[in-house]
Order: sequence, then structure tokens, then C-alpha cells
Amino acid sequence: MLGGAKVKIRKELYERVKKYAELAGYSSVDEFVEYALEKELSKLEGSDSEDEVKKKLKGLGYIS
Amino acid sequence: MKITRRDFIRSSAGAGLGLAAMSGSGKARAARLNKKVIVLGIDGLDPFLLQKFMAQGLMPNFAKLNSQGGDFRLMQTTIPAQSPVAWASFSTSCNPGKTGIFDFIHREPKHFNLYLSSSQTIAPKTGKIKIGDWMLSTKSAQIKNLVGAEPFWNELTKAKIPATIFRVPSNFPAFAGAARQFSGMGTPDLLGTYGTFSYYTDYPPENSKEITGGEVYPTFVKNHVAENFIFGPDNSFRLNPDKPYEIVGGEKNYNYEKLSIPFKVYIDPANPVAKIVIQGQEIFLKEGEWSDWVELEFELLPHLKHLPGMVKFYLKQVKPDFKLYVSPVNINPADPALPIFSPEAYGREMVSNLGRFYTQGISEDTKARSYGIINDLEYWTQSQMVTADWFRAYRWHLDNFHTGFLFFYFSTLDLGQHMFWRYIDPGNPLHLDALRQGMTQPLEKLYQEMDAAMGMAMAKLDEDTTLLVISDHGFAGFNRGFNLNSWLLDNGYLFLIDPARRAQTDYFDNVDWGRTRAYGLGINGLYLNLQGREGTGIVPPEQADQLLKELKTKLEALVDPKTREHPIKNAYLSREVFKGKFVGTLSPDIVVGYRRGFRGSWETTLGKFPKDWLVDNTDPWSGDHCIDPSEVPATLVSNKKIKKSDPGIWDIGPSVLQELGVRVPEGLDGKPIF
Repeated sequence: MLGGAKVKIRKELYERVKKYAELAGYSSVDEFVEYALEKELSKLEGSDSEDEVKKKLKGLGYIS
Repeated sequence: MKITRRDFIRSSAGAGLGLAAMSGSGKARAARLNKKVIVLGIDGLDPFLLQKFMAQGLMPNFAKLNSQGGDFRLMQTTIPAQSPVAWASFSTSCNPGKTGIFDFIHREPKHFNLYLSSSQTIAPKTGKIKIGDWMLSTKSAQIKNLVGAEPFWNELTKAKIPATIFRVPSNFPAFAGAARQFSGMGTPDLLGTYGTFSYYTDYPPENSKEITGGEVYPTFVKNHVAENFIFGPDNSFRLNPDKPYEIVGGEKNYNYEKLSIPFKVYIDPANPVAKIVIQGQEIFLKEGEWSDWVELEFELLPHLKHLPGMVKFYLKQVKPDFKLYVSPVNINPADPALPIFSPEAYGREMVSNLGRFYTQGISEDTKARSYGIINDLEYWTQSQMVTADWFRAYRWHLDNFHTGFLFFYFSTLDLGQHMFWRYIDPGNPLHLDALRQGMTQPLEKLYQEMDAAMGMAMAKLDEDTTLLVISDHGFAGFNRGFNLNSWLLDNGYLFLIDPARRAQTDYFDNVDWGRTRAYGLGINGLYLNLQGREGTGIVPPEQADQLLKELKTKLEALVDPKTREHPIKNAYLSREVFKGKFVGTLSPDIVVGYRRGFRGSWETTLGKFPKDWLVDNTDPWSGDHCIDPSEVPATLVSNKKIKKSDPGIWDIGPSVLQELGVRVPEGLDGKPIF
């Protein structure tokens, strides 16, 4: 990937990723890996995780 | 007074823009520079109750203003008549199509993420370091105000006219600009929620697990001592050492340690009194007594980073059962952990003059009352402490208001009507129960408090001051709830993956999006599952109009078998009633306008599917306004005659600008009322 960093993963994992990236319609393995990592990171960084949002909303008197 | 060239240009420009009624003479220009405008924002001030109480002689100041050349009118409000929607329209002089605020709750259509409409937290994409159990964050999360248009008061401050905005809803964090602002409804507590109380007791109520907006902590007294913790937010610096992560659905979910502060309650063996000890502070309370603010510091990193907050304790009972209520952890205004003031110096100035005060967006603890943790009298006491804070701040703002614009907001009438409407509405399922609660005429008292606020503003009036008293909506009973999502399900617009799990479905988690054409979200929103917009969309755009018309016709024809009324007065098609960039993207496709007495049910707002379409509302939250705006018009009172025949809440901003000699910008939906 242009300008990107390289990451080493096991060959067997790479083959599985490649297979499912194609099946799921991703244009490349890179795209699939980026998507999966972003998804995982969003949980860690958790701007407003789903549970937090639920708790937040339910504190509002208008909502039960 | 020294008038700078900029002042001169400004006042000249104002004179040339529709301000011909004001003389262009130097004397008039000087007078304009002394002009003042006060807008008193009283959430939920109902024009019909106001009129009734004026006729009964309960509102002498409103009556006096009206009889001395003032004006009193019904005012249009937004579709729907919800506070965040209406106040965003007030702040920006625009319709919801331009503010992007349509309901308390919105969804991000691609991934169906739900959020409170007026603000969102955006975490940093980078900048986290994990060291052992510690997760160090090098960047702070950003909190974004989602109102999509600029507030009118920025036109004032650009013209060097001072503006102070006290607690207007949908203003967290405060709009960018030079006005002094204290955020209102939408401001979270320290946990990031819109209010989470704590209840410590050795006799947990049966409904403990159903409670939202609060937590019950079983707490037992041993040798006259009870001990527990006050819990803060998750500590994003530290993973939970006992269980740093868990695997959910094959994915790893990290757990953070919850911040907590231990406390002990020493109960007097002989008398109904107790001593609470927390972080070296001792608080003595009698049974039935509230504490003042108690400042707390949650430790994020030992000796390095603390998170300040504050709570109030209420010693409900010591014997035979132990019952201790602790308020949501409010952001401490003296050391705010989140941006609740703009500029920060405004907050410091208030604290140095007023001491501590509530900061949570909705400070009145309606949830504790709804779930029976506190009773009507206790709710009244708590909400009166909130009102006392606002009156103290109001007095200080009025005393220090000499030029420009002051907006001051009162919340307690609105929340009080939500909780006490059952006292005046024989149609409410809890009406008879309310009459046994020991309160007398709570609504009358709340209106009289607002009359006192009006009197304080009137004392400031001179020939250069314009006073407007406005509300965002009126009020009505909430006696019957409509399960919109159940109706959509039973009429073939929505499908469940497993119909047998209907009763357990929550947050739409059992919805079969591949077959669903429409869904209800929030209190008034109905959305199509539209191709190209919703991530799971199946309705082709060319079929949307026909489907919306079909839904509108059926919803408006619906009859409540119990009352024989049509619960839905208007199902508004968004593209017909809104204009702006958010229409069709963020907006619901239909806004359901309920008739008086009805509202979207508690269960439907976040995706539950009860069996019946229409149900009695048995929550003490018995009054509401999230209905058709024509059913609950707002109030507009002025010390000047109003010329505009059909004033709306979006007209207030342009009127303030006109009164202060500032050009009204192009592109606003509002027009001056004078």
C-alpha cells in the first residue's frame, strides 16, 4: 500500500484473510485488514461505545 | 462615552437596514448603544395555564406587564415540540432542516449508531499507550456540539455587543464565539450520562433491575456503620485487573476499571442522625435532610491526575431500613472536567460570586421519582434546590446586566409539569394516587415562582430595555402511550428475526432489517429503511413517496379503542415541513404529531415491541409536550406590542438583533416580531 506501513502476519492467517476479503467483496486484502483494525480500534477508543450510549440515553427523563 | 469608528460604522449600517423607525440622529444612535434586551426562557411555560392563573390573580407581574402596554401571544414552535429541537431553532433562528436537531435521539443511518442529537463525543484515533494494566491516553476526546447553524448572538458579539447565554438547551459544548455561555440541557454528569443517581439501601426495591438513570447498591449496616463506594466513570487510564477483557461473539472487548471513592456512614444508635465520611470530609445529616455540595476527586493516575466532581447526599431513612440517595455526580463548576463554560473565566466569575451550583443538563431528578426512590415531596425539595440555584444566578446576572443581551433559562417549571401534571388531569391513570401524595397545588406554585422571576426582570426595565418572556412549548397530559414500532411490526412494515423473542427485543436487536421497510426511533421519529441511506436499506427511493403517504394515511386514521380518539393528529412528511441540508439525510421521514393526552410510549423510543399498540402511562412522569406543536403552542410575552401576526420561536433571534441595532443576516427563517 502506497505510503503505508508493513505489518507481519502468519502466512496461514494471510490466506484466510485473503479468502474472506474476496468473499466479502473487499477490493484488496489491505482494505479488509484496515477495515477490521479500524473496527477493533473503534471499540478500544470507544468514542461512545454502544453500552455507554444506551446508559447515557436512558438517563434522560424522556426515555425509559 | 467614546464612540470608536467601528461603533460609528456599525450604528450607521444598522440605521440603513430596516431601522428607519429609529432616528438617525446622534442622540438616537447613542440611545441605541444603551439598548438592552432580556430574554427570559421559561421551558414549558404553557400559555393556557398562564392565562388561567393570571385570571385567578396568581400571576400579578405577568398581569401587570400585560396591562401596561405589554403583549401576550401564543407562539409557534417546532415540529416536534421537543425542547432540544425548539431551543436549537431559537438559538439559530432556523427550522430543524437547518439546525439538524429533530428529536432527542438520532441515528447514524449507515451503521445504526444511536446518539443524543445535540452533542457527540469523538475519541482520538491515536494516542493510547498500554503499559501493564494502565492505558495512557495522550490526547483528549473531543466533544462536538451538533447544532448545524450559527447562533444569532454571534452577530451581536461580532458587533462588540456583549451577550450572556445562561443554560439554553442544545448548547453543550457551547457554540464557538465570544458570548458568555453556560451549557444547559444536554450537559452530562461526570459519568457521561444524562443523570445517574445512586441509592444505597439494605432494602432494595423490587424494581431495582428495571431502574434506568440510577443504580441501586445493596448496603448493609453492621455495628451502626454502613460502607460502600461512590462510582465515577470508567478510568480510561486503567484496564480492569480482574478481567481486562472478555470475548463477546468471538471479539475481544476491553474492560476498564471503574473509578470509585469509598465512604462510610456512622449511624447514631439512639437518634435518627448519621455522619458520612468521605475523602476526609465529615457530613452530618438528620433523617430527611439533604447535604450541601460535597466535592469529590476521582483518582485517574495515582498522585498525578484527578477527576473532580460533586454530589449531594440525601439521608432518606436510617431506621428501620437504611436508605441513602446520592445525586448524580455533577461536574464541579469550580474545576470543570468538561467544557461547560465559555469562556472559562465566566464560570470562575460565577463560582466566586455564587458558590457551587448544579451543572448537569437536566438537574431535576425525575428518574429517581419515576422509579419511586424518592416521593413527590422529596422530588419537590430536590427540584426546589435546583430552582434556588437558578434564582441566585438570575439575581446576580440581573444586578450585573448593564448593556447588550441577556438570555436566562429556567428549567424547573418544565420538569415540574412533567412530574406533577397528574395532579390537575383527571384523565391521568395516577390522578387519584397523586391526590394522596400530600402535595397541594404544585403547578400553581411553580407558575408563581416564574411570576416572581418576571417581577425581578420588570424591576430592571427602563425605556431602553426590551423584555421578552418565551417558552419552547406548552404542556399536555401524557395518559396514553403509542407503541409505534409494535404498530409497524403488526402492520407488515417491520419484521423480527425471531418473532418468539418479541417481548425480549430491545434496541432493535431482533429486527430483520433485510425485510423491514420502516422503523420508529426517538419520541416522534419514523424512518424508512431507505436504500442508499440506511446501511441495511431495502426501500428503493422511487417507492419512498408512496410508502410515506400510505403510512401517513394509516397513522392518522388510527383510533384508540379505549378513548375513541385519534392519537395521531398529524403525521408530518419531513420534506413538506422542513427546509435545509439535513432533510432526508438526518431527519426522520415522518414526524409523528400526537394529539393531547398521547405520546410515543416509553418502550418504543429505543426499539422495544410490546404486545399492545396503545397503553396507559402509569409513570409519575405524567405531563408531556413531545406531540403535535399545534396542540402545545409556546408562550410569547413582551413589554412592547408585537406586530407579527404569527410569531414563531425562530423569530426571537432576529427581533433581538433588530432591537440592538444589528443587521439581521440573510438566510434565517425568522423575522423580527416588532
